[in-house]
Amino acid sequence: MSEDKKGGIKRRDFLKIIGVAGGTAVVASSCSEPVEQIIPYVIPPEGIIPGVPNWYASTCRECPAGCGILVKNREGRAIKIEGNSKSPINNGASCARGQAALQGLYNPDRIRSPLSKNDAGKLRPLGWEGAEKTLTEKIEELRGNSKTGNIVFLSNHISGSLNKLVGEWMDALGGKHIEYETFAHEPLKEANKISFGIDKIPTYHIDKSKYLLSFGADFIETWLSPVEYTKQFSKMHSYKDKTMGKFVHVEPRASLTASSADEWISAKPGTEGFLALGIANAIVNSGQSPNGGGGLRGLLSKYSPDQVSSVTGVPVQTITQIAKEFSTMQPSLAIGGGVSVTSTNATQTLVAINILNYVAGNIGETVDFGDTLTLSNVNSFQDITSLVSSMENGEIDILFLYDVNPAYTLPKVLKFSEALEKVPFVVSFSSFLDETTEAANLILPDNTPLESWGDYSAKESVHGLIQPVMSPVFNTKGTGDVILSVSGQVEELNGRFTQTTFYDYLRDSWKEIWAGAQGAGDFETFWKDCLENGGYYLEVPSRRVSISSAISSVKFTEPEFTGDGDFYFMAYPSYRYYDGRGANKPWLQELPEALSTGVWSSWVEVHPDTAKKLNVKLGDFLSIESPEGVIEIQVYIYQGIRPDTLSVMIGQGHTSYGRYAKDRGVNPITILPLSTDELSGGFAWLSTKVKAAKVNKHEQFVQTQYTTTQHDRGMVQAVTLTELQQGLHHEEHHAPDFYPPREYDRYRWGMAIDLQKCVGCGACVTACYAENNIAFVGKELVAKRRDMAWIRIERYFEEANNNAGFQTRFLPMLCQQCGNAPCEPVCPVYATYHNPEGLNGMVYNRCVGTRYCANNCTYKVRKFNFYTYKWPEPLNWQLNPDVTVRTKGIMEKCTFCVQRINHGKDLAKDEGRDVRDGDFKVACEQACPADAIVFGNLEDHESKASKLSHDDRGYKVLAEVNTLPAITYLKKVTQDKA
Amino acid sequence: MSEQNTLTYARVNDDIIRMLDKPTFKWWALFLPTLFFVGFGLFCFIYQVYSGLGVAGYRHPVFWGVYITDFVFWVGIAHSGTLISAILYLFRANFRMSIYRIAEAMTVFAVLTAGLFPIIHLGRPWNFYWLFPYPNQRELWVNFKSPLVWDVFAVSTYLTVSALFFFIGMIPDIAAVRDRVTEAPRKIIYSILSLGWKGSNWEWLHYTRAYLFFAAFATPLVLSVHSVVSWDFAMSNLPGWHTTIFAPYFVAGAIFSGLGMVIMLTVPIRKIFHLEDYITLDNYDGMAKLLILTSGIIGYAYGAEFFMAWYSGNPAEWGQYYYRITGEYAIFYWIMIVCNVVIPIPLWFKSVRRNLKILFIMSIFINIGMWFERFNIIVISLSHGFDPAAWGIYKPSWVEVGITVGSFAWFLMFFLLFLKTLPAVSIAEMKEILPVPKKEAQT
Repeated sequence: MSEDKKGGIKRRDFLKIIGVAGGTAVVASSCSEPVEQIIPYVIPPEGIIPGVPNWYASTCRECPAGCGILVKNREGRAIKIEGNSKSPINNGASCARGQAALQGLYNPDRIRSPLSKNDAGKLRPLGWEGAEKTLTEKIEELRGNSKTGNIVFLSNHISGSLNKLVGEWMDALGGKHIEYETFAHEPLKEANKISFGIDKIPTYHIDKSKYLLSFGADFIETWLSPVEYTKQFSKMHSYKDKTMGKFVHVEPRASLTASSADEWISAKPGTEGFLALGIANAIVNSGQSPNGGGGLRGLLSKYSPDQVSSVTGVPVQTITQIAKEFSTMQPSLAIGGGVSVTSTNATQTLVAINILNYVAGNIGETVDFGDTLTLSNVNSFQDITSLVSSMENGEIDILFLYDVNPAYTLPKVLKFSEALEKVPFVVSFSSFLDETTEAANLILPDNTPLESWGDYSAKESVHGLIQPVMSPVFNTKGTGDVILSVSGQVEELNGRFTQTTFYDYLRDSWKEIWAGAQGAGDFETFWKDCLENGGYYLEVPSRRVSISSAISSVKFTEPEFTGDGDFYFMAYPSYRYYDGRGANKPWLQELPEALSTGVWSSWVEVHPDTAKKLNVKLGDFLSIESPEGVIEIQVYIYQGIRPDTLSVMIGQGHTSYGRYAKDRGVNPITILPLSTDELSGGFAWLSTKVKAAKVNKHEQFVQTQYTTTQHDRGMVQAVTLTELQQGLHHEEHHAPDFYPPREYDRYRWGMAIDLQKCVGCGACVTACYAENNIAFVGKELVAKRRDMAWIRIERYFEEANNNAGFQTRFLPMLCQQCGNAPCEPVCPVYATYHNPEGLNGMVYNRCVGTRYCANNCTYKVRKFNFYTYKWPEPLNWQLNPDVTVRTKGIMEKCTFCVQRINHGKDLAKDEGRDVRDGDFKVACEQACPADAIVFGNLEDHESKASKLSHDDRGYKVLAEVNTLPAITYLKKVTQDKA
Repeated sequence: MSEQNTLTYARVNDDIIRMLDKPTFKWWALFLPTLFFVGFGLFCFIYQVYSGLGVAGYRHPVFWGVYITDFVFWVGIAHSGTLISAILYLFRANFRMSIYRIAEAMTVFAVLTAGLFPIIHLGRPWNFYWLFPYPNQRELWVNFKSPLVWDVFAVSTYLTVSALFFFIGMIPDIAAVRDRVTEAPRKIIYSILSLGWKGSNWEWLHYTRAYLFFAAFATPLVLSVHSVVSWDFAMSNLPGWHTTIFAPYFVAGAIFSGLGMVIMLTVPIRKIFHLEDYITLDNYDGMAKLLILTSGIIGYAYGAEFFMAWYSGNPAEWGQYYYRITGEYAIFYWIMIVCNVVIPIPLWFKSVRRNLKILFIMSIFINIGMWFERFNIIVISLSHGFDPAAWGIYKPSWVEVGITVGSFAWFLMFFLLFLKTLPAVSIAEMKEILPVPKKEAQT
């Protein structure tokens, strides 16, 4: 047709122009980054079918827990991380940090190529060849001077092949490998050494216990293996068959973990050990100990509940009550060793907890010394301090830094940064320009774990494999490869390693594991199986232990605090940022902290009475002064903290580390003194008393929920255990309606959320961001309540008849996909409508943005695109191609992951059947470490979701509005006050 | 002029057509700033379209704010125009004669202004036409269940009818102007607009019937349009919106604010153009009585709303009303009460009703009060819904203020143009209430 027309552009010409222009743009934009091999499929790579994801099993390295993950790769790009259900650690679940690992991979502030510092102190990019040459020369120069022993490789906790390689390399160079973890849990090791002669961190079986007593162990947040223990806790603490376990948490502050406890007890900071001894004493004296006190009766005699009560400030009655429950609700478990309560007597406290477990007969039952954590192998804090002093004395010539940020994580008083300046040559393998790497002379950026080969073993029973899930985003190189390559270039080391790539090295070292594995067949099959399963998992038998006589030599003392202020200063690890490494990920910054719902910042928690005394209100600033320094920090008023304690999360207050981390909040570590735990030498986090004074500054406290109570709306409902046991009168009544009920054919998608299981960790929120291309908007827009989260965790503080006087309740709130949805009839253009499967469909293209649907939404779960939000390159590579990226002016909301539903239906159709329960999981459900969310087909009466929706505990939020939600919440179950 | 108490046909023509003389300096001094503010409003709107609605103060959960307030406010203003011209015509209330033209003009321009806001407030205003049911190849249709679609029909019907009514009522007057003016462009324009009106008996016969029918047609619109606007809110389930009282409450409020606006506009016009003989104190007295009535109705509605919220025992409903009087927005609630219920109380006295200064000031307060009434209904209800976790505070941004000011300027711009182009007082109808002229008087 176009040929008939005179003038204008012909179709062919148009296509040509477009092709040339587009091609030029592609070439121009991809010159700096080696991406062009990924997307234009002139010759399609094998195994990639457009539209069909590839899943790669790997291991998460966001914290030492080492969860197994599955990474979804679409058209060459990793777009989603999910827990690997084959991994015995996390059994398919994940946490917010694990989900956000993708934003480490695609972080726009990643170091994009090797950098070296010139004489002017500026970092200049150079090629890998040049970079490796620089390093080689440096090593040879040093060895030419025949100086040995002054090379140090400082890494985080790496186990497995890389650990082995670094060890061998350092041996060859005469250097030293030091593993430094911010939260190394040294007192746990030491206490076990004293108590049982085993210098290890054991595995706990929370799921097997009926009564859990935690002395500051924040196992839902950061303690040892949060996903694993949250999952176990959910099993133990959920209501099933008219019974449920009880959980008591002792900590000066009601942490997120404490919020899930039936009782929160705020003992005086650092006296948890006495409380444990008091409970043990009561157990032994009441004759409840199965081993009759196991010879510890004498030791315990000094710690009668009366005496302990006066030290800890916990009422005698509470102590005896716990003792009674702890010994009768068997098996029970006491855990301890949370970072935030690590004071100078931490080991003593943990010995006391061991004693408590011992007299209650839990050792070997719920505490398992067979399967110990490899975290036990990291270097001690003393090794770190002596390293710093060698650096200070100029004894270190080359310092390698691998995935550590001691300039941020070590207390300022240790003067690490100053010592670092005295090291003539610092090499960093970091992916990010953090506080430590900034000072490096040479930066050889490592691939992130999602781009590299490797392995990590968190505990003896798990050998996790790490495999690249996509080609490197930037011009980075795996550190293992760099080591091998440099070793090949250093003359003396030539021939030391037979492998030229780390992949070969990894396979060779896995041959040892293969050799140890029984009946594994040939190595290739074993290797392939391991790759598919995410690693090699084995059974490690539990180990019988007995109490050691060394225990009697332990003197239980009160902790020492430096400083003469009025307040104990508590720095607690953040479940969003861990030791600060998560702070550069916008998803984690924008994930509201569960208790305050604050975002993009950090704050000091102040008890309401203290706030009155200090004359501060929410959003005011306090200056907090320890002997080591002063910080100025915003106030959040929280009833869940002792009046004599102030607490600040660890992880914010970066001075570099990229645009998302820099200059946000305050780093509390800067004012911590250099106190150590008396027996283990580990760093004592809770060891200073501070002065606090109001400063003349006020800012809006940016949070996502400004209310704290339910205002009688019955949002989060609860029943007591007794009520349930006596049988709840549950009726499902249907309000009369003018219209006949809706009929659904095969599917009515629905959900059940067990509020007894939900711990408020926010994994679902971040998973939803990742799956559904939800924009992060930044602090300024969250301050205007314009966050885009499709699922939010509402938190309410309810007055309660417990020790704390209140109870924290969480409510994951997402689109209820109402059967009688208020949003649907008010849309003038049918942009939202009811689909035949019960979903409230949302047609983005049709939306004109009247926003009436959001006004009329009873649950206020609709989010409006006030702007067209941008993902800075390459964060946009993470976007899920199955989900539309929304632009300004339109409404969006939870779709029940309609793309997953459709995918599941497609697969079922291929097999000629209906979708069955368990065919697929929606993103929030998949991520939830507590298994609180169950999605399914309500029309299938055998589905789990359908059954749960008729549960006795089931209720609909705001049922009186008659919206007929598809989500049934199961009431929280509270223990009756004894 | 007031010393000559007798109005004659000739004087009516003279006086009213004289208003269309060349604009004076004063007129320009008013008109140019309005143009500036219209331009600024336009700039704000373009900026908003370009950046996204985020430049307005909207936030979760307050998705409607000043724009919808303005919309309801202007639709409300529009109402009294039709009330005065149509309903009072049917009731043969003679006090309307002098002011109905101004009131009608006000109606048309207010609807023109109001009609902009639903578009301004859209997230994607370039797609506004999707709200009209027009045939298209994609077979997409509008949702007739949505009150917003009813709104589209209500407002567009209202604009059409009020504009036609305005125009038809003006035909004989335009003919009169046509007969007066001599210079070419004006003569031609008025000739076209007068549709060849000759003033024959036959024409008058049909004209008066047509006018009566239009009046009858427009009358139900006075009630229905604002009822429909109120259903934008009442049809939702939000505490503070979901109430059956809204339709009469909104209609009464609309008439209240519209009369206030008529007073606000006519008092200065009367003074500037020396229309004391045309717009008399009796006219104002009549309007002021209507103000008392409507103020009483909305005062009752405020009380009834409040009582029902308490009496219902519904925590969300009562929470909303308790929040209105005590929460962050309480000041606006009390402004509304004072302006709409307390300030009109002196109107019970005849001397106050006939004091134009007091009436003028009062009418300003009434309009402020009525603007805040809409603001309170919309914003406070939205900010304090069912779910306490989703409560939030909305503050308008400078863009919204700019567009609101621009809308007043836009309205005023049309009004000023109207004063200089069309007869602001009905010549023909004024003559109906004058004695028929004797032959010699016509010299």
